[in-house]
Amino acid sequence: MLLNVDNISLSFGSLKAVNEVSMTVESGKITGLIGPNGAGKTTFFNIISGVYKPDTGTITFDGKRIDGKKPFQINEAGIARTYQVINLFKKMTVLENVMVGMHSRLNSGFFRSVLRMPDQRKEEEEVRRRAYEWLGFVNLEDRAHEQAGSLSYGEQRLLEIVRGLASGPKLILLDEPAAGMNSREKRDLDELLQRILQKGVSILLIEHDMKLVMGVTDHIYVLNYGKKLADGSPAQIQKNTDVITAYLGGE
Amino acid sequence: MLIQVLVSGSVLGCVYGLIALGYSLIYKASGMMNFAQGDVLTLGAFLGYTFFSMLGFPFFLAFILTLIIAFAFGLGIERAVFRQLKAKNVLPIYIVLATIAVSYILQNACQAIWTTKMLSFPRIFPIDSLKVFGVAIQTESIFCVAVSILCMAGLHFFMKHSRFGTAMRASAMDSKAAQACGINTSLATGVTWAIAAGLAAMAGMLLGPIYGVFITLGSTIGRKGFAGAVMGGYGNMYGAMVGGVLLGLIETLTSSYLSSTYKDLIAYGMLLLFLFVRPTGIFNEKAITE
Amino acid sequence: MKKVMKKDSVKNLVLLLASVLLPVIFNAAGQSYPILIMCFAFLYMIATSGLDVVFGYCGQISMGHAAFFAIGAYGSAMLNRYCGIPVFFTMIIASLLATLVGAVIAYPASKLVFHFLSLSTIAFAEIVRTLLLQSPGGITGNAVGMFPKSISLFGFQLNTYTRFYYFGLLFLVLFLLFKYRMVNSRVGRAFIAIRENTHAAGGMGINVTQYKVMAFAVSAFYTGFAGAMYAHLVRYIGPDTFTMKQSVMFVTMMLFGGTGSIAGPLAGAFVVLVFNEGLRAFEQYQMLLYGILLLVVIVVLPGGIYGTVRSFIKKRLAEKKGGQVDAA
Repeated sequence: MLLNVDNISLSFGSLKAVNEVSMTVESGKITGLIGPNGAGKTTFFNIISGVYKPDTGTITFDGKRIDGKKPFQINEAGIARTYQVINLFKKMTVLENVMVGMHSRLNSGFFRSVLRMPDQRKEEEEVRRRAYEWLGFVNLEDRAHEQAGSLSYGEQRLLEIVRGLASGPKLILLDEPAAGMNSREKRDLDELLQRILQKGVSILLIEHDMKLVMGVTDHIYVLNYGKKLADGSPAQIQKNTDVITAYLGGE
Repeated sequence: MLIQVLVSGSVLGCVYGLIALGYSLIYKASGMMNFAQGDVLTLGAFLGYTFFSMLGFPFFLAFILTLIIAFAFGLGIERAVFRQLKAKNVLPIYIVLATIAVSYILQNACQAIWTTKMLSFPRIFPIDSLKVFGVAIQTESIFCVAVSILCMAGLHFFMKHSRFGTAMRASAMDSKAAQACGINTSLATGVTWAIAAGLAAMAGMLLGPIYGVFITLGSTIGRKGFAGAVMGGYGNMYGAMVGGVLLGLIETLTSSYLSSTYKDLIAYGMLLLFLFVRPTGIFNEKAITE
Repeated sequence: MKKVMKKDSVKNLVLLLASVLLPVIFNAAGQSYPILIMCFAFLYMIATSGLDVVFGYCGQISMGHAAFFAIGAYGSAMLNRYCGIPVFFTMIIASLLATLVGAVIAYPASKLVFHFLSLSTIAFAEIVRTLLLQSPGGITGNAVGMFPKSISLFGFQLNTYTRFYYFGLLFLVLFLLFKYRMVNSRVGRAFIAIRENTHAAGGMGINVTQYKVMAFAVSAFYTGFAGAMYAHLVRYIGPDTFTMKQSVMFVTMMLFGGTGSIAGPLAGAFVVLVFNEGLRAFEQYQMLLYGILLLVVIVVLPGGIYGTVRSFIKKRLAEKKGGQVDAA
């Protein structure tokens, strides 16, 4: 059990955005998180990645408690994420975005950088080389020196994913990675997710595309109005009447 | 002695309140911080002086004329400058610089048109002072507090109970939704700036008779007025009034009973304290997120 | 890649050579005023480069940098007058003091967003100025101010414009070198990430608070040192020099030259400085004209002078190549 979320709740004023949700994410698997719009899925991600502190409950990752920690600490612990709205560093180049992704794994601080110590120079070369490799993972190497903002929407989503992978996480949270993609791009995404698993990175995925979710995930959790509605294998979820009702006929 | 201190504190507090009101109104309506309010105060003082002392108009007339000019200024500057900047989507830093440029222009225009010397505002009332609780208080001070309270009350009723006031509040809250309801948001925003300028000019005319009229009259008060706005909750109309009065009282009490050399530190210190510890202010006003 | 860098290096070397020869030429012509202007230019370039680190790269607005300018200036003057430390070392110590103050104030300020951050920097700068105007025991000379000595490097007095010029040029080059290395490293990338998308920066493992404080601290060192330079060039400092107008001038210099670059702040500092010198002829209308021109430029030219000039040049280059004009 890689990630264990135990009875998490979060309220914004009088609105209970997440209501006593528990979840486990297994290592080496793709876990899905689905639910109607406004069900609290992204808020849930924000709690795991440290943007919000839960009011109650605990989160354990790789044996250690991570609830209440700051986002950078959670990244250091081994969780990376992408965002529902693309959060790339638009004015930086494609390559630089990936280089930033590696930040927590590097060591060069202020003085070593300003004085250009030899180990800093070596580290910078390493960073560049590995960033190029990651771009190769999604076929973006020839766009390396373009501004990230100039990529197409689908390419930007891919860049966000490798930017997250660059920090060498054990778990990556993907927030609607297929949004705005056409069917060819979605097939490529399916294949990309398998390649990510092969690299030893587990995946927790928010998605609206039911075909993709049912086809790619090993286990699914369903949220509605901040509460956990159901969880089970794709086959079980598809037959679950509560889930079908919640989606009002579904996709 | 305490009564005197409380009176000075209230006078200063009312002025801070009027300035802070302007800041909060503009922030709610346009999402900008306006660094020129203090200098509009100075302009108001000079205009009031011109009409009342130099041209010999009755005070009431001078008051109204100054307000009209201030309204026109506020309306004009919003339309000519800040609306364009907002439409062009310039970085917020340029908008801040633009308001600062306006403050430089105002301050130095006053200097060029009038003078660098301090002008003394003649007494408004035939009676020098009134006895309150056995202590003689300058009539102008009572006038200042009374007018401020009337003004704040008037603004409250206008915003809460009049159609146009409600329209202004709606425009500030959600411009698109307000337009969908048929509200002329551009007029509402312009009027907000006009009112803010009017409040500052009024503060100048209330302060002038007490402190004298000179080109830097408003600039320090304008800067310290931010503390009043933050203390009450930046963007909150009632917070601005409460925060301003509170600031004036605290500043005057501390400088009278503790030390007067570091008087200015109090306002800036309170500003920092609130920003660092309670940025939403007394009334817990959520800041507008970028 | 390497070819481009070589062209840049040649350009820089030529500039450096020209800068070294400049005083020789002016002295031969009997003109010392331009040399003085360049002395001011160098120190403002350093100050503006510092502000650029915290705003241009890290995206944190400071409308109170005059405070660091003041701490550097007064710190250096006071350390020399009351502790007898030779002037050059006082400059370093005073700059470090400014750095410390910058770090301390940056920590709580790091939680604030734009408008409130700018207010906090203004309040901070006003507090510093009030303390200078009413110092305990009058150690800052209060309203009268102080009259610092000129820089002495191992007994050699920098008491002519030409000598100060070379000192200023040397340190400008050093400061620029450090800035270049900093912004092209992991630290610089962290700064830019925070500016571009603070949320995502945290998600990338960047300790946002730590880096914001670092940016402020570095920036304070630069502007502090520039302040010390000012003190030992002009040899008079008073609280009126370090008002909000000074902070606004730094911001103006940075914006006009272009933020987030090495050369931008240099150009901006130089242009605004020369511009202000030119306005001096108008005496009491100086501030009025400054305000009017500032306003006109902001309203008429979107993104200030720098943005307009840049997109103008881009358009011209694209037209020459006969290709399409890309969005600026």
